[in-house]
Amino acid sequence: MLANYLPVLIFLVIAAVLAGVLLGLGSGLGRYLSRAPNDAAKRTPYECGFDAFEDTRMKFDVRYYLVAILFIVFDLEIAFLFPWAVALSKIGLFGLVAMGIFLAILVVGFIYEWKKGALEWD
Amino acid sequence: MLASVSTVWSALPAYAQSTAWIVVITVALIISVALLTLWERKVIGWIQLRRGPNRVRIFGLLPGVGQPFADVVKLLLKEVIIPVRANKVLFVLAPALALIPAFATWAVIPLSPELVVANIDAGLLYVLSLTSVGVYGIILAGWAANSKYAFLGAMRSAAQIVAYEIAMGFALVGVLMVSGSLNLGTIVRTQHGGPLSWNWFWLLPLTVVYFISGLAETNRAPFDVAEGESEIVAGFHVEYSGIAFALFFLAEYANMILISALTSVFFFGGWLSPLDGYLPEGGAAADFLMAPSFFWLGLKIFVFLFLFLWLRATFPRYRYDQIMRLGWKVLIPITLIWIAVEMVMSYNHVGPWAT
Amino acid sequence: MLVEVLFYVFATILIAAALAVIISKNPVHAALFLVLSFVTSAAIWLLIEAEFLAIVLVLVYVGAVMVLFLFVVMMLDIKVEEHRRGFTRYAWLGWITAVAVIVEIVGVVTARRFGVDITRGAAPWPASYSNTQALGSVLYTHYAYPFELAAVVLLVAIVAAIALTTRTRRGLKRQDINRQVNVQSTDRVRLVKSMDAKSP
Repeated sequence: MLANYLPVLIFLVIAAVLAGVLLGLGSGLGRYLSRAPNDAAKRTPYECGFDAFEDTRMKFDVRYYLVAILFIVFDLEIAFLFPWAVALSKIGLFGLVAMGIFLAILVVGFIYEWKKGALEWD
Repeated sequence: MLASVSTVWSALPAYAQSTAWIVVITVALIISVALLTLWERKVIGWIQLRRGPNRVRIFGLLPGVGQPFADVVKLLLKEVIIPVRANKVLFVLAPALALIPAFATWAVIPLSPELVVANIDAGLLYVLSLTSVGVYGIILAGWAANSKYAFLGAMRSAAQIVAYEIAMGFALVGVLMVSGSLNLGTIVRTQHGGPLSWNWFWLLPLTVVYFISGLAETNRAPFDVAEGESEIVAGFHVEYSGIAFALFFLAEYANMILISALTSVFFFGGWLSPLDGYLPEGGAAADFLMAPSFFWLGLKIFVFLFLFLWLRATFPRYRYDQIMRLGWKVLIPITLIWIAVEMVMSYNHVGPWAT
Repeated sequence: MLVEVLFYVFATILIAAALAVIISKNPVHAALFLVLSFVTSAAIWLLIEAEFLAIVLVLVYVGAVMVLFLFVVMMLDIKVEEHRRGFTRYAWLGWITAVAVIVEIVGVVTARRFGVDITRGAAPWPASYSNTQALGSVLYTHYAYPFELAAVVLLVAIVAAIALTTRTRRGLKRQDINRQVNVQSTDRVRLVKSMDAKSP
């Protein structure tokens, strides 16, 4: 079984090498051909021609955290569904009902989320 | 000559063979991306009654085909500007992190009945987890650049990708319930027997959900608010130039091809032939068209790529709240309902579960 | 042979990454090193052929949990100096935890002395063996009760997350797509007879 995973590792390494070579080659050539590598105006972050006002890394709307948390919950749910779907033919009615209850409990959560307006963006 | 090549080939150890295939796939993918950018500009040009690129030629022939290659040279020669106060390491790491998953996922795609680089049992799970890793390139690019537009674009994009990944995962659960295996080759094989026994027939809602989620995952129009030019300039890669920008571009287009390939594999029978059993027996052409091969997978990928471009040329961009609404309130409920429908069908041995 | 080499490579990366998590001063770097240590531990799990768990570790922890961590760390605007000021206040708690973990590790390593054989290597499975299916065929039947409890835990997580984060702002205008689609022309247009209109 492990032998099947060796090509995956090789592919990951080759993809990383590809990215590294391209980045190295491109930034080397670009640096070499650049006329003013350290021009201050060129290296300021783009802000429609203004000088940057403040540090960019600012506080953000809490809803983005909420989306991330809900994503974790649903991702776990999917992780539970995968082995179930694969073993569907073996676990019979009992497994079907077990998953039915599992999904029903989580649909309650989903409806709660919906009614509370956690999915609204404005 | 050919015989000696094939003896040398079969004498090679397994890992050398797969390394050779990996290199072939990587190179083919890069060339496909180059041609896809040209094809995109041509198709959108035709839809908008323009010509598209038609100046740069290869060897004085084929007007326009030289364009992507000229672009590659240009991007390689341009300077990679690292903004002041940017986090240098992460700024350079981000494009690599976007590119690696877009390429490495191809390891498990069954390209033809015989050819799959890594025939692993948990192939689908591998695809899903690499897709979810792809979001790091975007988040880091936005954060490392220390630019407000980049940061806003990255946050939008991350929340959007995350929302559609759930819909995508649920749609794939539906596929698994039919095929009973996580191995992509087996998923294709369980669909054999003509276009009506492919998964799209019984899983039509999931097919649509999967493709729409794929559009959103790749940040393609009409879901491209992450780079919405009119609001946040170019989103997470505003500050990127030269080859670093090109890597994001390469990753995005490789992901488009990947989503097209995955849609064909999961719902449209991968390398299976749609004409299987519909043509008269005998004759080399009929045999070729009826046999499962890479030709059919390639053709299906091409059709879905065209759909990507067609959608881009046709639809205006969604607003952010509309995107989130579509993901959470439309696509996820559809997938949940269809999983319930499949549970009932499998219990009653209807459709793909009929024995 | 190759497996052993890979094990030591991954183990070294894992330990280095775990150390970097607690050493780095920049919280974003720390979070990314945590990602690296999750990925390498997934690789190590894969080496003992725990295929499903290894990939799910990447899917859930790297793909979801760490994305949340990064969101929080990137946006909470933690100034490094501020962060370090109250650092030593909880040092005693850290020491207790560290000692407890060391005792546990020693306990696991010396477990053979108590007659429990847990260091036995896993027998390799044939290529066609499906880890996921084996898991699925017991999880939903034999372990159905803990499985349902997991659903309840997830439900609590949903409710708690929403209770902690939602706030309603007044005076917002939201788009109601159903209403938009179902609108009739009579709702929007009122035909008025003009005063001096004379019909021909």
